Amino acid sequence: MTSAASVKVSTASVQGAGAGSSPSAALQSIEVTPLPWAAAKAVVKQNHYLHSMPGGTCLAFGAFVGVRLLGALTLGAGPRNAPSLVAGAEAGDCLTLTRLWLSDDLPRNSESRVIAVVLRSLRQHTSIRFLLSYADPSQGHVGTIYQATGWLYTGLSAVMPLYDLGDGVARHSRSVGHSFGSHSVAHFQRHGVPVKLIPQAAKHRYIHFVDPDWRERLLVPVLPYPKKGANP
Amino acid sequence: MKVVDIAIEKLKEAPWNPNRMDEGMLRKLRASVEKYGIVHNLVVRPLGEDDYEVLSGNQRLKVLQEAGFSQVPCVIVEADDARARVLSQALNRIRGEDDLGMRAELLRDVLAAMPADEVVKILPETPESLAAATSLGQESLVDSLRAWENTKGARLHHCTFQLTSSQIEVVEKALTRVLPQARQAKGDSPNDRGTALYILCQSYLKKGGSR
Repeated sequence: MTSAASVKVSTASVQGAGAGSSPSAALQSIEVTPLPWAAAKAVVKQNHYLHSMPGGTCLAFGAFVGVRLLGALTLGAGPRNAPSLVAGAEAGDCLTLTRLWLSDDLPRNSESRVIAVVLRSLRQHTSIRFLLSYADPSQGHVGTIYQATGWLYTGLSAVMPLYDLGDGVARHSRSVGHSFGSHSVAHFQRHGVPVKLIPQAAKHRYIHFVDPDWRERLLVPVLPYPKKGANP
Repeated sequence: MKVVDIAIEKLKEAPWNPNRMDEGMLRKLRASVEKYGIVHNLVVRPLGEDDYEVLSGNQRLKVLQEAGFSQVPCVIVEADDARARVLSQALNRIRGEDDLGMRAELLRDVLAAMPADEVVKILPETPESLAAATSLGQESLVDSLRAWENTKGARLHHCTFQLTSSQIEVVEKALTRVLPQARQAKGDSPNDRGTALYILCQSYLKKGGSR
């Protein structure tokens, strides 16, 4: 299993051009179509290394070869701090690429092909201006696929620690905020709830401008791509 | 291994069987048995002098009892308690995962030959989930994205506040007073409480706020 996908595009205008100048016949046999949320969840839970469907998923795509469903890509709502990354950006201008799984049965470079189709479709048919995605160095990921598809690397993003509220369960800060209305440590301490913060490794952050005119709005520096094996 | 027809009154449900089936699913199982008969042997082990405990097929046993079957074809295995439980779990839990795309194609083939209402009588699907399953891979990427884009204007923005119990009491009291006015207001938002909050804030600002 890889984190890539193969794609066949359903219309010539969207899927005609590949990531490269002439995608192979195998890559062209991949069709990218919308995937209902429930189907995307089933595929992601079964196959993606995180085995979970992220909250806030807005769009999901399937990678088909013939009738076989061999991959899924999900896009979720953009981060709250999008305006601090891109001048004038609002939440609706941005999505986050949250999951990408492609079967090993797909040919090489399928990831690039699938991502290229999705990006082209977003550019042609939506007003999304840019995408973000993250690669987790603690999993040995440096974002190879984003590098291969020309995303801009903006360094390591600050990651909130996980919260243990005294029961040994490590919770994401968003989950704590959702359940309790706050993830303020002081707030929990005031109410006598012991909080243990579990640090998480920062993640590599990549950005891709669906609308190239927005590139000049980027507020953070673009850095050289991280290399596999190098310490983040 | 032998398949033996056993009198149904000698077959006993395994009390330790964790598998539960709700009435809706039992109805589908009944419909399947009515349509196809017994096409799947039960797996049993001897219990006491003359009875048998069902290791696999406990739900089918219920349906067959209701349907008035007198004999049921069974595979008899010798197994102690632990092995019986393991075999039961193995028979019921070891299965592959569907390729959802291939399954969609299979269901489309089925629907080409059978009406959907007949299919949903037997399969776990509802009419809605059957329609969703068969549409997999058939939707247009362009149409889907355009439709998603078109809904953007209709999306209301979430505005989340975290309040203590005493704070929310005050906010609720204020919103409740403004709600009748909010219900009369002709605005873009169908959410009365959101509109009430908007009216409150607008009124505050009109009065100059705390400037």
